[in-house]
Amino acid sequence: MRAFVAMLGIGLTLSAVSGAQAYHRFWANCNYDAATFMTTMTRDAAQDYANAARYEGYQWGGGCWNYDDVDSYPNDPPEQTGTHGEGGDCSGLTFKTWRESTDGSRDGRYYWRALRNVHGPYTAADFRAGYGAPNHTVAKSTAGVMDAFASSTHIGMVFVRSLYGGDQIVEAKCEACGTNIFYRTYRSDSAYGGVGRWGWTG
Amino acid sequence: MGLDRLTLPVPVLAVCLAAACSSGGGRPAHLLDGRPAPELRPVRNSVIAASRLLERADVQVCQAGADRTGVASDAPVVERTGVDDHSITFASRDGSRVYACDGGIDPAGERAPPWCGGVVGERERGRLLDPRLDVVCHDRQHRPLAYAFVEPVARAGWIGVRQDGFVELYDVVAGLPVRVASRRGIDLENARAVFDVTQYDAAGRELVREELEAAVAG
Repeated sequence: MRAFVAMLGIGLTLSAVSGAQAYHRFWANCNYDAATFMTTMTRDAAQDYANAARYEGYQWGGGCWNYDDVDSYPNDPPEQTGTHGEGGDCSGLTFKTWRESTDGSRDGRYYWRALRNVHGPYTAADFRAGYGAPNHTVAKSTAGVMDAFASSTHIGMVFVRSLYGGDQIVEAKCEACGTNIFYRTYRSDSAYGGVGRWGWTG
Repeated sequence: MGLDRLTLPVPVLAVCLAAACSSGGGRPAHLLDGRPAPELRPVRNSVIAASRLLERADVQVCQAGADRTGVASDAPVVERTGVDDHSITFASRDGSRVYACDGGIDPAGERAPPWCGGVVGERERGRLLDPRLDVVCHDRQHRPLAYAFVEPVARAGWIGVRQDGFVELYDVVAGLPVRVASRRGIDLENARAVFDVTQYDAAGRELVREELEAAVAG
């Protein structure tokens, strides 16, 4: 009996250790390289960048992914930064796609590679209010390609402006739905406002 | 206008001013608004942040554009004034969301004082899913200032946050998460911060101590 209890204790300890390690997974592949300061930033290039992040998953507070079109760790618990899975969250994807600086007073163009683990200082609500030197609010009716719609809790970028009132939105939506392009009606949703990035060069 | 479009002298001047204004550690004598900083005797080197319950507050100013349709016009608003920080906290009618406005200097110069940030937190079964870290504000000496929510444990009367040379105490009010601030443990590059938090009961007896690791998200 004593041996059984001892083995049980060891087993429980080991299972706890592997559980903790399981939450330090994808980020082991990520890096903290400096961003590359760019003189240009086109909406076409931003579309390509966000499009390439499709299928790479969603991670609350994240901003690191590869390009294998698979979410390495889907369906983590919601709103847990410690799960360290693949993908950005909505504001992290926007931050990287819009080539922003981690310093909110800087409005230059900073290219972040996919595996550079960076989220940026802004939440969806910050974007919604146009906070940060590179960001501003725009009228929803004029929001165009790679402008965005943001609410208090979510932001998605306009990939293609569609007919019939909606838009094709590229967004990191949730653990279960990942990062993808979805048809959304944020443009007519009163919870959402239009936001944009200063400094497009084309 | 962002720093990237400014010429060199202005940021250099800001750095020099910040360096000249930096204060050392030690228990401060005053809160941000100039009133004397009281101490809670059982907690050595403590400073009690002032708090009050407002029946109404102009929450529009700091939560521009936020969806507040679920917030009652007479919702209680908790205002806190600490050594370097100033915030208000309120909740939606059904308690599913908690809002905070964070005070300080907006380094981008886009928001008029006193507010430099605002957050919205989602609650599930009465608890916040995420501490809603905010790292965009600076204090009056232009040093980074981080704000986050702390959920009080049962019987908690005070939330203590270790600062440089003292413990800042925030009282638990109106059953809301407590908005705390710190100038320590901030990693701006990665939008993260670590808060050294100790929770005390109303008499100042220690209940629980933890390192709250928070990241900007969502």
